[in-house]
Amino acid sequence: MAYQVILIESNTEVLNEILTPLKRSPDFTVAATYTSAHSAIGQAGMFQPNLFFMDVEDDEELDLLPAFADIFPGAYILGMMSVWDANRAYRSLRGGATGCILKPFTAQDVLKSLQLFTARGAHRAGRIVSFFSAKGRAGRTTLAAILALLIAKKTGEKVALVDADLQFGDLPIFFDATPKRSIIDASQDIKLLTPLTFEPYFYPITSQVSLLSSPDKPEYAELVTPSSLVDVVRMTENLFRFVLVDLPAGFNPLAINICRLSNLVYVTTMINTGFEVRHVKKVMEMFASQATPEREIRTVFTRVNPFTEEERHKIELELGYPVDDMIPNEYKMISIANSGRLSHGLPEDTLLMRSISKMADHIIAGGK
Amino acid sequence: MVDVSGRSSVIISVFSTTPGIGKTVVAINLAAGLAHEGYSVCLVDLDLQFGDVLNYLQLVSPQTIAGAQRAMLNDPENFHVRNFLIDYGHQGLHFSIMPAPVYVFDAYQMDVQAVEKMISQLNYFEFVILDLNSMFSALNLAMMDMSTVVNYLGVIDFLPALKNFKIGYDTLLRFEYEESKIRIVENRADSQKLIDGRDVERLLGEKFYHRLPNDFKSVRNSINKGQPLMFAAPESKLTRSFEELVAKYTNKNISPIQTETSGGFFDRLRRWTSNLFGK
Repeated sequence: MAYQVILIESNTEVLNEILTPLKRSPDFTVAATYTSAHSAIGQAGMFQPNLFFMDVEDDEELDLLPAFADIFPGAYILGMMSVWDANRAYRSLRGGATGCILKPFTAQDVLKSLQLFTARGAHRAGRIVSFFSAKGRAGRTTLAAILALLIAKKTGEKVALVDADLQFGDLPIFFDATPKRSIIDASQDIKLLTPLTFEPYFYPITSQVSLLSSPDKPEYAELVTPSSLVDVVRMTENLFRFVLVDLPAGFNPLAINICRLSNLVYVTTMINTGFEVRHVKKVMEMFASQATPEREIRTVFTRVNPFTEEERHKIELELGYPVDDMIPNEYKMISIANSGRLSHGLPEDTLLMRSISKMADHIIAGGK
Repeated sequence: MVDVSGRSSVIISVFSTTPGIGKTVVAINLAAGLAHEGYSVCLVDLDLQFGDVLNYLQLVSPQTIAGAQRAMLNDPENFHVRNFLIDYGHQGLHFSIMPAPVYVFDAYQMDVQAVEKMISQLNYFEFVILDLNSMFSALNLAMMDMSTVVNYLGVIDFLPALKNFKIGYDTLLRFEYEESKIRIVENRADSQKLIDGRDVERLLGEKFYHRLPNDFKSVRNSINKGQPLMFAAPESKLTRSFEELVAKYTNKNISPIQTETSGGFFDRLRRWTSNLFGK
């Protein structure tokens, strides 16, 4: 069945240019075209449309997009832009758009985009979750990897793992992956990319979880600017409902920038000598001093031993902040990472998996 | 570039590409060991954001490297780095410490050239030990440039750690550090048997300069007491191993280091790793 298309574009010249390929394709029936969103919203219902094209460079159309999403809950809404604008793409997603597409486009581009965007999951803004640690060897990567698999399983939506630990990212090893392209390539090309052309930079781990890999040589990290990495993460959100970012240890421009645009930051710590709690305290104070009210900061302690509420209170007393999540010790995890076995699925039901599962539920709940 | 031609101290930086594998413990025990041999030693905590030297020695200090930098920039004429050091002393043993900043914000303000200048002012010490963090940062590279030797530490208990150890070593060589300057030291050498040390040597194409045995209990004891291993665990095999390492750095026990020629086996390993880790 062909898509019943409503096209809203204020510039009639552009409108005609867009119409031509759609009219030629058997996959689309153009039901009506409008030059203003206001006139479209009242009339479009007559045509039982299931695909809208809206010019999201037009503020009126962008503002009205959520109303369209409300009135036509079963329809796809593609935001159109002439140059990629991460902010408008984000506002479109948040407003309920299926995704955004760059003008001009072919019928094939539209079909491919719809395929990617519907696989992504619910038509909502993505959820960016980053994993921060003061010093590393905190269990960050293990957590991110398992959470990605769990969230995908629980939601059926798409999850991206972004390895932003540029010098020593370990995610490829966890999944026994040998990606051809890395986050370095992505951040160098990002200005020229759209979701459609960005998608091949990801290495598929399962049908739902994909990896944007770290480079294989640490000095390549030099080629990345924090702002290009921000663009990469924001573009990722257009393809994946959940974006999990594994950060390099400590405060650096890269980690700070990514944390700033994250919905949720996990401050990850493994208790070893005990002094780690002091470091986390410093980290939490740093985050508290940055006013980003919509962002949630959570503490997670890995390899907690003994795994008791008393231990939680002990840590909280010294930390001065709540211990939001605790993960027990599980020696098997080392052998799992060693063997790349995560690529074959999750470890069996254990206390460790149940604890991480609780975190997954929290991430998912916040995303609704 | 800071002129270091006039310096007389031996600078040993302790570096690794995996965090949390004992750099600070090694740095402290090197400093203590060298001091015990009668040398004047300064230990500089360059894990600027989350340094642990003071924590592990249970010291607090009003002086930090951040304060030193502020003073140096404010009044370069009257600045001397010695006013910003604190002393560790126990049973007649002494060494100086330049502590890391207390606040992350201060750590963030640290300037590579300023640190270079301060480190070169430490040239009145016979040994300067630099406790770095686990990144190829501008600061760490500048410090390794200044160093006489780089004590490149690895723990090979975990495949990602091995990958990072290898990548880090190759990177150091690509940055044109001479192989003789980089001393690869395995920590917790006997802690597991999953990955064999000899295989690691073949993989790196270089013999370990030294292998420190695993003694988790003694290290924990040392940290809990806030004392170097020689006081907290004098009988430990790890303590003895540190004595041997110190002896190597003071040329008291010179044994030629042989580099294994990379034959066919090494080439095969290289292929194996490129398959495993990607090219």
